[in-house]
Amino acid sequence: MELERVKERVLEGRPGFPRAYGPARVDHQPGIPLFPQEATRDLVVIFLLTAIMFFLSSYLTPFLGPARSPQISELIVPDWYLLFSWGLLKIADIFPTFTLGAGTPLAAEFNPVFWGDVLSGIPIIALLLLPFLDRGREARPAKAPIRSAIGTASIAAIFTASLYSIREVISERWLSPNGAPLIPDNTQKWFFVIPPILVGLVTYTALRRLGYQPMRRWLVPNVTVPAIIVCAQSAAILLLPGWLGAEALPYVVWIAVHLVLLSAASAAVAVAVIALPETRARDVSAWTIVLAVLAFAGLSIYMDATDRNGYSWVLSVLYPNMNTLLLLPMFAVMTAWLGTRRPYSTYEYLLNECYQCGKCHTVCPVTKVEDDALGGLNLVYNTFKKQHDGVPLWTCLACDACSAVCPLDIKYSDYILEERAKVHAKMAADGGEREWP
Amino acid sequence: MATGDLRKDTGRTVFGWLKSRFPTVPYADLTRVVLETDQRQMPRSHAEKYELKTIWYWYPLYCLGGISFVAFIILTITGILLGFFYVPDGRLEIAATGDLTNAAWQSMLTIMNDIPFGFIIRGMHHWAAHIMIAAVFLHMCRVYFTGAYKKPRELNWLLGVILLLITLAFGYSGYLLPANNLSEGAANIGINMSRASPVIGDQLATLLFGDINTLAGAYILRWYWIHVFILPLVGTGLMILHMSLVWLQGVAEPH
Repeated sequence: MELERVKERVLEGRPGFPRAYGPARVDHQPGIPLFPQEATRDLVVIFLLTAIMFFLSSYLTPFLGPARSPQISELIVPDWYLLFSWGLLKIADIFPTFTLGAGTPLAAEFNPVFWGDVLSGIPIIALLLLPFLDRGREARPAKAPIRSAIGTASIAAIFTASLYSIREVISERWLSPNGAPLIPDNTQKWFFVIPPILVGLVTYTALRRLGYQPMRRWLVPNVTVPAIIVCAQSAAILLLPGWLGAEALPYVVWIAVHLVLLSAASAAVAVAVIALPETRARDVSAWTIVLAVLAFAGLSIYMDATDRNGYSWVLSVLYPNMNTLLLLPMFAVMTAWLGTRRPYSTYEYLLNECYQCGKCHTVCPVTKVEDDALGGLNLVYNTFKKQHDGVPLWTCLACDACSAVCPLDIKYSDYILEERAKVHAKMAADGGEREWP
Repeated sequence: MATGDLRKDTGRTVFGWLKSRFPTVPYADLTRVVLETDQRQMPRSHAEKYELKTIWYWYPLYCLGGISFVAFIILTITGILLGFFYVPDGRLEIAATGDLTNAAWQSMLTIMNDIPFGFIIRGMHHWAAHIMIAAVFLHMCRVYFTGAYKKPRELNWLLGVILLLITLAFGYSGYLLPANNLSEGAANIGINMSRASPVIGDQLATLLFGDINTLAGAYILRWYWIHVFILPLVGTGLMILHMSLVWLQGVAEPH
């Protein structure tokens, strides 16, 4: 039939347009046969999994303690996957306790265990409602930064809730030199809330940046506010009389060194983000991260080896304030670096949304005159597959007609300009600029 | 028929009798479908279809659901074997030494010490449970981050959330069964959490645990029944639905 012949010619050599499905399919990319290819792949996974289980059960015998008895003396810890619920049960003692309808058959007692039930129910209800709340079409994590940020924040919250469930262990085992718990309960409670928020903000900033968004409006408050808090609290600890107890006073120099290091790191990235251009700010934050981590690690190793008592006092100042003094500097430097980072792989990320509708090819003025581009060039798709042979890279007018018609809003000319800049930078690095002084 | 050779006719008679009551011919036809599976091609993923290379490193995350199912099969096999020897009786007894004991815990000792390969069967059951729960959780994370719960897969996401809860219930009921101190503590927490529900708290605790405290040890038998009958029944049914929906709707990949 004539129509079939036309179809054949149009689709000739174009990948992704199989003419038939099933065993009769003859196009150049058949699916993977179930047997033996797919079956082999599955069996590898199954055997590996079984082998891991045999290995674990041979060397790590599951626990079987003493028989149950009404008196339980030791601390009971549930399996790891229920720790979060147990942590929520414990954190629920911040809620008020009261009884509704006391004295009636329908008396309802609102106690910490009830609030713990409610807290454990919230994630389940959120999971059930999720597909009805998030109805956008975007599937990729990098292009749905809010969803991804909520996701990483929730994972962080599971970890911090699980950590809070062993608050008794933390209070008993980690002591400051004067015998008090190193991390007070209040600090532990805030540690349940603050890391998830910071993790969510970092994820959001980093993913928006991946999409080439200028993140200055987010960066400036997210970096400067933590820096101000850290500097102010460090100054207060060192300068206000009474913040450091009399016992910690002999170690004030070492405490000051640690506080100055943390404040300097946060202040450096804050200044860089506000005052410097983006590339310089990126370098400053990267170097701040490297130097601060090295300095902090070196300081801990040195103090642990020489002055353990002094180090204990330093930690007894840092740990009760860990939500501000330790978490906020980490947050500030990470945000500054991720928010100014060069998102080098994103353009491939954007281009691979192409589903070969060919609209870009239709409107492109270059393809009408350029001999190399006349036959079957699909601008975005072929560029992504690196099959453009350099034609669009050096003949593109950057007129943006392709972006205007692209159903997926792929910014093609941005990509072209970026690639040209890379080539020029490479030529300059190779000494190319000396030819044109 | 009566005049025929008995040796020659027996087969025909017996199979003829069976065949007229259990017609197998239409079902035998199904074997052709099975044979055709040999020729079946797995549907190509989006990335394979369009020869995308950038997100290859996500692909291992797409076998987490399968890993949890394999772990579930291993759990079923080892669970059946453990069930031959486990005694679901948590009532307190006094041992000859004067210590408190109970029949469930004694049967755990028997499994660990006397039954051939008992300790390795229990070890497999234990570690497969941990791997299954971890794989289910990571599978949920993968589905969340790749937006695979969106239209038209909302129903499958809801099934998955219920399966996650069932998996957690499997784990919880599983560590109640050894009737050791850990199970006592976990049962106490569970009873307290059930009793905290307004109005129906005590009734709910009695329904789930057999009593409003752990003293009588009724919770062992009750959660044994939940662990070996109710949860497997509901869970297996929902898993079949869950996987059928994936089969019908296709794997949702980000693109």
